[in-house]
This record gives sequence, C-alpha cells and structure tokens, in this order.
Amino acid sequence: MSIDGQTTPAPEEPAAAAVPATRRAVIVGGNRIPFARAGGAYAKSSNQDMLTAALDGLIARFGLQDERIGQVAAGAVLKHSRDFNLTREAVLGSALSAETPVYDLQQACATGLETVVGLANKIKLGQIESGIAGGVDSASDAPVVVSEGLREVILDLHRARTLPQRLQILSRLRPKDLAPLAPGTAEPRTGLTMGEHQALTTAQWKISREAQDELALNSHHNLAAAYESGFFDDLMTPYRGLTRDANLRADTSMEKLASLKPVFGRNLGADATMTAGNSTPLTDGASTVLLASDEWADARDLPKLAAVVDAEAAAVDFVHGKDGLLMAPVFAVPRLLGRQGLTLADFDYFEIHEAFAATVLSTLAAWEDEDFGRTRLGLEGAFGSIDRTRLNVNGSSLAAGHPFAATGGRIVGTLAKMLHAKAASAGRPARGLVSVCAAGGQGVVAILESL
Amino acid sequence: MTLQQPLVLAEMPSLSKLYVNAAAQAARRRLLGTHDSAVLPAESHEVRGVRVNVENLTAYQHLIGETASDVLPAGFIHAIAFPLAMSVLNRDDFPLPLLGMIHLRNRVEQRAPLVFTDTLDMTARVENLRGHRAGTQVDVVAEVRRADSPDVHWRGVSTYLAKGVFLPGIDKPTAVPPRPDFTAPDPTALWHLGVDTGRAYAAVSGDFNPIHLSVLSAKALGMRRSIAHGMYLASRALADVGPARGDSFTWDVDFEAPVFLPSRVALEITSEESGAGAWKRSDYVAWSPRSGRRHFSGTVTAV
Repeated sequence: MSIDGQTTPAPEEPAAAAVPATRRAVIVGGNRIPFARAGGAYAKSSNQDMLTAALDGLIARFGLQDERIGQVAAGAVLKHSRDFNLTREAVLGSALSAETPVYDLQQACATGLETVVGLANKIKLGQIESGIAGGVDSASDAPVVVSEGLREVILDLHRARTLPQRLQILSRLRPKDLAPLAPGTAEPRTGLTMGEHQALTTAQWKISREAQDELALNSHHNLAAAYESGFFDDLMTPYRGLTRDANLRADTSMEKLASLKPVFGRNLGADATMTAGNSTPLTDGASTVLLASDEWADARDLPKLAAVVDAEAAAVDFVHGKDGLLMAPVFAVPRLLGRQGLTLADFDYFEIHEAFAATVLSTLAAWEDEDFGRTRLGLEGAFGSIDRTRLNVNGSSLAAGHPFAATGGRIVGTLAKMLHAKAASAGRPARGLVSVCAAGGQGVVAILESL
Repeated sequence: MTLQQPLVLAEMPSLSKLYVNAAAQAARRRLLGTHDSAVLPAESHEVRGVRVNVENLTAYQHLIGETASDVLPAGFIHAIAFPLAMSVLNRDDFPLPLLGMIHLRNRVEQRAPLVFTDTLDMTARVENLRGHRAGTQVDVVAEVRRADSPDVHWRGVSTYLAKGVFLPGIDKPTAVPPRPDFTAPDPTALWHLGVDTGRAYAAVSGDFNPIHLSVLSAKALGMRRSIAHGMYLASRALADVGPARGDSFTWDVDFEAPVFLPSRVALEITSEESGAGAWKRSDYVAWSPRSGRRHFSGTVTAV
C-alpha cells in the first residue's frame, strides 16, 4: 500500500530480518537531583557539577564506590565547547573507578532516553555488564556565543604570522562585534521557535486551551501527590538546598492557569492558546539510571525493577510543515508496537514527555484520528486511544520542569519504579511506554516491562 | 533575430562606476531632455573568462542559508552577472533611466550545475520593451556558459519597471485583472531580518545600491527606510526549498511589496511530488506577519 506517511508493520508480519537472541538489560534504579527553574538554586552550577551530583547520589544508593562500570553515557543539549568530554569529567569527579569508560551523546531532548537505549543494547549484546545512562542541562549556565565578526577576527589572528597582519586583522573589528549573542531557541531551518512550531500544530489539531490547562493541572497535582507519598524518596538526591522540583505548584488551579496570557503563536494567525502554565519552563537539572545484566545485578544483590524491552526512533519532515516539529513519536510508537505485536491497550502506564501540554494532546489526537491512521500511518483506521488515567500518573515535565537531556533519565527511573510496584500489587507483569519528542523533528520511544 | 556581434568587454564592469555614471546620465537627461526613443539597443554585452572568488562564494552561501558546496547557487550567478546586465542598461542608447528602476520579476533556468572552479563566459542584453500600467517594463536577459562551451548552463530574465516613464509608441496594457486577495496561510518559516540585512547582502553580492544600505542613504533616494534586496529574499526562499530541488531547476519570483528593514517575514513553502514520489515543484509565498501583506511569491520547478 502506498501512503504519504510512515508505514507501520502489522503485528502478524514479523520484522524482515530475524533478530538473534540476546540477553536481558535490566534497570536497577534511577537517581536525579531536584530540577530548578533557570536562574534559581542552580544558577551558578555547571552541567558537570549537576551531573556529578546526580551520579554521586546513584553511586551512594547502590554502593558503586570504586566500581568500574561497563560504560557511562550522558549528554547535554546546551553544551559549552570546553565540555566536549562532559561525562568523562563528571565520572573522574565522582566516586566511580577512574577506569570507567564513557561517551557523550547529544540528541536534543531525546538525549537522556537514547543513552538508556544505547547502553541497554550493549548489555543485551553482552558487550558490557553494567551501564549508567544520564543527562544534564543548565539553561542558567548556558553558553554565550561571541559575534561572527569577533569570532572570525580571533580565528584569523590565531593564523596570522606577522605583526602587520595582526594589526590589519584587528582593524576589522567593529563595536557591534563585541556584543555577545544570546543562545537562540529557534529551529535553524525555519526560524520558528519550538513554541511557535507547537502553536501551529496545536491549532492544526484544534487542541483547546482548557484541555491544555487540565493536562498541566494534572501534572502538578500528580507530581505533588507523588512527593507527598514519598515516591521520590529513593529517586532523588537533594542538591543546593532543593529537595523538590522548584517548578512544582501543588496549589495551582484551573482558575489560576486560565488567567495566564498566551505566549506562543500570537503572531502566526492561529488561535494562541499556549501559556507559561501549559508549557515547560527553562530548567536546570540532571538525572541518571543504573542499567545492568541480570548476572551483574544479582552478584551485587541489587534490585531489578524493569527491563528495557525495545525502542524506536523516528523523525518527521517538519521543515515545510508536512508534520509538526514535535510529532515524531506519533510515528515511532505505532512502529514499535507493531514490531512487538502490542496495542495501546497492553500498557499499564504511559509516560509522554510534556514539552508542552499541547504536544501530548496533539500526539493523542493524531493517534485517535481515522484519516491520519489510514493515510499517514498506513493502518486500517485510527491507531487508538489511551486510558488517560494511566498517563503521566506521577507528574511529568510541566510540573517537574524539563532540563532537556535530563528528562529521559527522570522518566525511565520513575517508570521503572512504578512498573515494579504495579507488578507486585497486581501479581502480574506490568508494561510501560516512554515517548520523548525532540528538536529537529525527532523522537525516541521505548517499552519497559516490570521485573 | 539580428546576428549582431556582441560588444566584448575586457573585464567585468564596476557596479559603483555604473551607478555614478547612471546618476550623471540622469542629471544630463534632466537638463537636456530625454530623446524619447522607444527602441532598445540590439547589441549584447559579453565578458569572458570570469572566475569566482571562493571566499566570496562561501560568504554568500552562509548568508543565504545554502550549504557551502562547490556548486554555484543560482542566485550567486545572478549576482556575479549583475554588473554586466547593468552595463547594458547604462548605455546611452538605452531609453529608460537606470536609477529607480523596480525589479518586478525574475526567472532563472539553471540547466546544469556550475562549480566554483569553472571559468565562465557571460552575455547580457535587453529585450521586450513593453507597457505597464505604471510605466514601461523591459527584460534583461543574461546567459552564462562554461568557458568554451556552446551550452548555456544558466539563463536569467529580470523584468524591471521604469515607473512613471511612458515612451511614444508603447501602449499601456489594457487593465490587468487585480490579483486575488491574499489570505496568509500557516507559515513554515519566519525570517528575522535585521537592519543590516541590506549591507550584509551588498557585501556578498557586490550590489551597493544605496536603497539597501542604510536608512539615510535610502531616504536620500526617497524611500522611508532601507529595503531588502529582492534577490536576497528570493535566494533565501530558494535555499529554504532545500536539497530536493537538485542541481537543475527553474526558479521564478514575483515581487509585490518591498520588505522594509528591519522586519519579520513569514514564509510558506508547499511542495508537490510526482506519482513516483520524486519532487516536482515547490511554491513559496512570503508576507508580513504584522500586516498580512504579501511581499513576494514564486516557484521552483524540476527541469
């Protein structure tokens, strides 16, 4: 069948290439520092500081002092050029063995989840016995870039050999070259910010302001309830005086959210419905997840919360508006579930990253749309709908905040614990879906299963 | 078709000298009166052995948003052939005043790619003098070949309007149907054009026309503020169409309302594919997100 979209394998037809049998990759546990609002408690902390803090908490929790981990993988989205070895520097500054190898990874907001997937795959293949995945971002300590004019003068000066050459190069400097450039948030190919892109998608899927505010409200209430119940006690290390995510507003209400003015899409012709309340704020923070083979975890008597079952990445052609910038998971999830022979009804929990409330709602709307299912996903009809009581039940990015690369680790650590508890209480295995959208029209999704 | 020999210039003419000469010519015509001829010069101008400055090419590509590949962007070839085209308009026997002419339309056929190491031969001529409701319009045709090749690799037709100039024997066209009302679609891109956009393009294109350079120089020529070069805008739209267009295509643009600087310009690009999924064409339209007024529109089509 020819469709103008991305096909989804039918559950009955197995993937073309036979996948050789691999062993299991298990999630031992996660640890993060509370997320701070930009310019808040972590304003002066660097990415390296925060990643090390999250890492040291994980090491302390699971007794990993002096342990040589198979590999550590982490990354940051807003990264200083001097931090090319960010993760290695964090490991050298931690209690882990200095003989632990690492790699840095960068995949916009999907960075954290992709590190989990990459290390889990290495464990499954038998290349490593243990891994620590993670991510960190600081919107406060962001790199500031010098102007192109100054940058070219500095580079040319470096290449110049004689004094007259240097003077000639210096004479090119103009006062305006000395002004630094603020970090931009616009997509390079469209000039539209992520919020403006989502505003267009929001209007296309006719997502109401009320629905967005309701999702934001649930996020805050769910996260607050999780803190009250002590859910995060073994998932978090206090840092710089914070013991809870600073963005959490436990007492917010529909009235308060409704009073906020729209901030995105006001000049795009579309109805502006996205506010500071139903969009994630700029945030600082770090997260880590400990992964292992069964043998490695058992040998150390460590818990095994969940297994990383499978994952899928997707990308959309957003540049000329064929799909919305943040809609790649809409295609990734049907592919992943098709490969695994699963439907949306087979999941106990859904963790859909709340870049904006409207991102989650646009994703669900696309899955519920008959026409989209047929023409874009190559299915018989709509992909399906989810039980909304299973969505982001312990809060998500709208309440916790979203330090870009740290979000994947936050979600995986949280979901693994939830699945383990669910399986214990229900007496049957529990399954969860993770979905993270990312800049550049990308997305990564994964399935976790309780152990 | 006349078989007139081209006037071969020894080197690419200097645009700044052409502008000075055009200003002197305008003053002279004002003093002595125009000669009211309605005949275009038949002679074409030719320059041979033109080489491309690779640093200039890279700066152009970065400014426009093209990847700095070795292939010359279609708009870059327009820019390097532009002084030759202007030299035809600058002839004493060219019947319209060069200064103040408005770029209405541009069409480029990029028949085969040219790379920066190619040595280029270029010709330019004028044709098709005709009426316009607001004055008189003329086409400037430029052709670029790889040196010693008989094939035209790049052909550009630029249509200019001499506003308020009516020549004897050239009728105004009958009333043209008004353009359909424009309703802004959802944008696919938003350009943030700083006040130095005109200067930045002048630096890479060599076209230091004062109406693009600064508020003061534009005011001296009767504009409210400086405006963006039309070919800068069209070239960015061409770059935004992306790699689907390949190396050979036709590229049209119709200019409607000038873009005063600084400003934001919203753009929509829609592409059409053939049955087999291959790219066929992309249409683009740009407008002011503030007023909703259309600035320009055009197409890029597979050859």
